[in-house]
Amino acid sequence: MTPEEPTAGGAPMIQLFRVCKDFGPFRHALSEVSFTVERGEFVFLTGPSGAGKSTLLKLLFREELPTSGQIVVNGRNIGVLPDGQVPYFRRTLGVVFQDFKLIARKTVFENLAFVQSVLGLSRSEQKRRAYQALKRVGLHHRMNSLPSELSGGEQQRTAIALAIVNEPVLLLADEPTGNLDPVLSEEIMKLFSEINIRGTTVFVATHDVDLIRRMGKRVVTIEKGKLRERDVAREALAREAPFLPG
Amino acid sequence: MNSRYLFGEAWAIAKSSPRHTAIAVALIALAFYVPGLFALISRNLGRLAGSVREPAAAILTLDPAADARSIAARVAGDPRVAKATIVGSAAALERFRRAYPDLGSAIADLDEAPFPPTIEVSLKPSAPPRAAREVASAARSWPGVDAAESEEEFAEKFRDGVRLLRGAGLFLGGLLTVAAILSVASAVRLAMDLHRDEIGIMRRMGATETAIRAPFWLHAFFEGLAGGALSLALLYATYRAAAWALARDPHPVLSLFWVGFLDLPTAVALPAVGAAAGFMGSLLSLSKTPKS
Repeated sequence: MTPEEPTAGGAPMIQLFRVCKDFGPFRHALSEVSFTVERGEFVFLTGPSGAGKSTLLKLLFREELPTSGQIVVNGRNIGVLPDGQVPYFRRTLGVVFQDFKLIARKTVFENLAFVQSVLGLSRSEQKRRAYQALKRVGLHHRMNSLPSELSGGEQQRTAIALAIVNEPVLLLADEPTGNLDPVLSEEIMKLFSEINIRGTTVFVATHDVDLIRRMGKRVVTIEKGKLRERDVAREALAREAPFLPG
Repeated sequence: MNSRYLFGEAWAIAKSSPRHTAIAVALIALAFYVPGLFALISRNLGRLAGSVREPAAAILTLDPAADARSIAARVAGDPRVAKATIVGSAAALERFRRAYPDLGSAIADLDEAPFPPTIEVSLKPSAPPRAAREVASAARSWPGVDAAESEEEFAEKFRDGVRLLRGAGLFLGGLLTVAAILSVASAVRLAMDLHRDEIGIMRRMGATETAIRAPFWLHAFFEGLAGGALSLALLYATYRAAAWALARDPHPVLSLFWVGFLDLPTAVALPAVGAAAGFMGSLLSLSKTPKS
């Protein structure tokens, strides 16, 4: 197995076993959290502010390490992943944040090409991947614009293009619609659904309950650092799913 | 990681904080200019010392009208003296021209001989340590002798002077180099802060720490190289300006100290050490940057 190639097979994409995360002796962000996300699933992580959603995503992304318990992502026990392997692990993931996180001085296209040049891809491969990713999010016509020239929705779509440009197996999103109005939020969710249909596992943290209900996907709920899982898919589908693909 | 990314980002870092980049380059230039100047002076002093093939133990400076032969015979009569050589004004001028060809034109137009006649006294190997001083002291009272200096004393003072000069240069250079390294470290830290969004994105996308830090290393390396090169250019400008001024208006002492520029290895060392200082500054700065 090379660092770039994760173990695949039929194993779940995400497995958490009794994961705890403490920040100091008195702040318990997560307690005994266990759940599984299968490959190709689209799962929402929800809960009130401060429940531990962002902490959980940081653990999945190996930005933080669990205090105890095990986390397996794409077949890798990331709690014991050596520091030197973390960048290679991250290349298999895509991450989207609420605040877009784009490089202001670079155009949309340069933002995407830049991260690939860091990874050592050839110029032609950078162009090909960047164009494809922008086309998938419908922004190929704005590739020469600076982030400041884009609307909030377009900036978030650029951030999603940035997250998928490396063709990740798992897409993590932390409140990706937090800064967007309901119409743009639905557009972004539709985009996530399309990415999911192409085979990427999508794991989205949000507290927008209406959006979750309309999407009709599996929901993992965290409250005060503890898990409360429920499946609202059938219930939501029974009502309406206006932008569900297919 | 490709070179386009590496050099492109290093340039972007330099452009993102031009004021700090300029300050860091200027500090490095200053840091190497000062010891460079001391090196230039001590090199010329060394040349001055090295121009005498067989150093005399004492020099008797004569009145122009004095009978050099009889004084030479008198000093040679001392049992401790091996040889007393008369160096006439013309011979001294010729010797100076050979040692300092660059300054020959400066004294060519003088009506009078610029150097008085002298007698160079060499001692026998068996002469006691204080013999030169005693011979010079005795000769001072002789008629026709304008001045008599023991070269032992002078050589000792000269060596002490050069040593002091080099020491001061090294001390100041060391001090300024530390300041320059810290300045580069601070400039790099600031640049990292300005680029923290990019660094965050790069980390998220799976860039290795080496790939993230390499443009900062390169930036600081070139900052140091530019500072070292600037100090070299400033030193050369100083040398040329002083040489021009001394050629127009020769000075009896300064003209002797200002006849040649730094040798090639020292000149090349300035930008090389500057680059190393810049690189060290970036290492110092980036070693404190937390990984995430």
